Amino acid sequence: MRAEIIEKLRRVVGKNAVVADETELLVYECDALTLFKQKPDAVVFPQTTEQVSGIVKIACEYGLPFLPRGAGTGLSGGALAAEGGIIIEMQKMNRILSIDQENRIAVVQPGVVNLNITQTTAPLGMYYAPDPSSQQACTIGGNVAENAGGPHCLKYGMTTDHILAIEVVLANGEIVRLGNPAGETMGMDLVGTIVGSEGTFVIVTEITIRLLPKPQAVKTLLAAYHSVEACSQTVSDIIGAGIVPAALEFVDDKTIHAVEASVFKAGYPMDARAALLIELDGFQDGIEEMSDAISEICRKNQAYEVRVAKNDQERAKLWLGRKGAFGAMGRVSPDMIVMDAVIPRTRLPDVLAEVDRLSDLHGLAVANVFHAGDGNLHPLILFDSRYPDQVERIHKLGEAIMRVCVDAGGALSGEHGIGVEKKEFMGLIFNDTDLDVMGDVKSVFNPTAKLNPSKIFPSRHACSEIGRSSTTNTVEIGKRVEAMLLGGSRVGH
Amino acid sequence: MVIDGLTVGRTLRPESVADLAAAIAEEKGSIVPMGSGTQMEFGNPLRAADCVVDLSRLSRITTYNPAELTIHVEAGATLGQIQSALAPNKQALPLDPWNGPSATIGGIAAANAQGPMRAIGGIRNWIIGMTVIHIDGRISKTGGRVVKNVTGYDLAKLYTGSLGTLTVITEMSFKLKAQFPKTSTAIAEFGSLSEALTVVAAIRKSPLQPIACELVGGSGTTNAVWIRFGEHPAAVAWQISQLPAAAWKVFEGDEEAAAWERLRVRYSTLGPVVVRVVGLPSEVGTIMELARPVSWIAHATSGIVLMAFDNADGVGRIRERFPAVIEKAPIEVRRRVATFGVSGTEKRLIREMKQKFDPGGRLNPGRHIDGE
Repeated sequence: MRAEIIEKLRRVVGKNAVVADETELLVYECDALTLFKQKPDAVVFPQTTEQVSGIVKIACEYGLPFLPRGAGTGLSGGALAAEGGIIIEMQKMNRILSIDQENRIAVVQPGVVNLNITQTTAPLGMYYAPDPSSQQACTIGGNVAENAGGPHCLKYGMTTDHILAIEVVLANGEIVRLGNPAGETMGMDLVGTIVGSEGTFVIVTEITIRLLPKPQAVKTLLAAYHSVEACSQTVSDIIGAGIVPAALEFVDDKTIHAVEASVFKAGYPMDARAALLIELDGFQDGIEEMSDAISEICRKNQAYEVRVAKNDQERAKLWLGRKGAFGAMGRVSPDMIVMDAVIPRTRLPDVLAEVDRLSDLHGLAVANVFHAGDGNLHPLILFDSRYPDQVERIHKLGEAIMRVCVDAGGALSGEHGIGVEKKEFMGLIFNDTDLDVMGDVKSVFNPTAKLNPSKIFPSRHACSEIGRSSTTNTVEIGKRVEAMLLGGSRVGH
Repeated sequence: MVIDGLTVGRTLRPESVADLAAAIAEEKGSIVPMGSGTQMEFGNPLRAADCVVDLSRLSRITTYNPAELTIHVEAGATLGQIQSALAPNKQALPLDPWNGPSATIGGIAAANAQGPMRAIGGIRNWIIGMTVIHIDGRISKTGGRVVKNVTGYDLAKLYTGSLGTLTVITEMSFKLKAQFPKTSTAIAEFGSLSEALTVVAAIRKSPLQPIACELVGGSGTTNAVWIRFGEHPAAVAWQISQLPAAAWKVFEGDEEAAAWERLRVRYSTLGPVVVRVVGLPSEVGTIMELARPVSWIAHATSGIVLMAFDNADGVGRIRERFPAVIEKAPIEVRRRVATFGVSGTEKRLIREMKQKFDPGGRLNPGRHIDGE
């Protein structure tokens, strides 16, 4: 990058808040989707909204691409500098600005780590509901960009249901506040339109979030099955019975074996073909009855074991296994790719059978660990990046799995976003008119398309090369997840 | 038909989305989409009404999948019609807009119409997909038919509340909720507003989680707090037992339904001007003091206050401190006072959005953007 531009950026954010060294920039060549890599020309660390605005204006002046980045935990390449340019790294804007206990809201900067909000508000009897698996590392700004989910979104909704107001920097550097603390749409719902736009509309610099009162009672159950079908049927029956668990998670045998051989050992039954992790929360009065009703549904579907966590410690252990599942895969395979797709929940048995068949066909193992309650699959494709042919095959298998989900009436992504990862699949769901309309809306916010370019919309040319020795490496992923989960004080909510 | 003092040129009653798209593509003048017409006093004055598109015949429930807890309907289906289809499976769309079960689902979305259950969300929280027709007759969709989905931009949010000024909503998909296993409503009356506000504040700080909490009052009536719980029967009973001390009367079953119907009728008599003012839940008292409405219904745990006035003279003063939307007003009032009170950069973005979707300004012209 030209020295003149770097100098201008330094004048905005300070000398030490601009990274332009080629080696240091390597850290920012990808997010958690490591198959796509592109080095940015500079990474800038603003501390105020005005600085973000200043950076954006410089990018505009020189016609450079620019994009925001949080913790880089995104799995669809949303924080990839696909066309180079400036990454605006929001990690230093990491203050919780205010917590209003009476009105159950908080105002936070985008770089605040998701779990920090719950940890900070816990002594006040509150928490922030959306809990992506990466919640010990991912930032709330990234959550807003991706409309992040998590296990507890089944009952409490996605990020978009918890964002009341935002301050944003527009693609021309203008600063504007949108929304209000009641989360009430007054005119057009620009807040709702921006949440989930994957950092292609605006850069969010301040967020007013809804907090929830901590539930009085929590019950966590583990139900083990000898068949995937019976396990899946239980999911349908629970939903059909009108019970909305706080979370309803599926783990298959591959996942169980990996977890039990790892530091995330949770005591999952090793002879199970599949198991459900079910959590109920709410008022003390009535929760036993609901828990009994769920146990009954599990047993009716041939669960051979239904275990109810007796205390917080047992509960945390059950969740440690689920949340550590991605990290535990090193026991099974040197590399993995986490996929994300949604299917109608009654289609779980046949879609899982088809995924199994495709896995055999392409000669790559697939482990399944996912949010069963809302039909949000996360097939983990296991492979070995030392063999280039396997890297080739994961793309074919990934596409085949996507097609199965779409054909079942599903969607390309439940919570990870489209980014660069799935943009070429958008045509499976949307026709040209649908995409044109989305493009029109994008152009209102981002008329020059310099803000986070080459995302979401399909193109004919790939924007980056596939890196062979990337950190799809499960040992590396395991180390990161381990540091996140075991380094943190609490797992679960 | 006359809308906002304009005589409607003609009315289309399409029977299919394809017919409607073709008709819109042909139309050269202004187009005014309409459902049951329950919200026609909401929005800035219409500029022209060459062609009304009456969606009442586009009212099919196209797919209802009880096992999935999802439903797909045409926009002209009424809320009552949808709830009746869901009831045999003990499922519901948890919406109770003031304009009642005869309102069409498309109209509820376009106006972002709400009722007491705003406390647990609005229609935006339940929409999972939408099909719309554009001013040039193109048909597009957003979202899908699964309950969790981040594939592409969430344009249903943009269309919800845009008063039919960007597109004509023709089909919608929803996720559903199991009916509450049990609901109970407690109502207490208070001698003064401050007593009622004290009780509401105590409820807000308590672990209680009402599905509706209304503060009702005004000239000629007492100050009442209406609170409704929907949960497992044991959890409902516990919450009722934990209410702050007051002379609560508890309503259940048909009596409960009749009580809420009375409140709905009361809302319909509010006026002639109804303003929706938004603040923090703890600011409800301040808002009331500032605005001094004739009568009111406040979603007290959400910070949303619906206030009735004889005229709109005080709206400017309210807007200096709180966002305020004119929810209902006669045409002559709406000619003088802007509906949304949006300004600055936000207004520019909305104007550019409108320009992008409807460059000729033919879709519900004048309705949405203040002063244009």
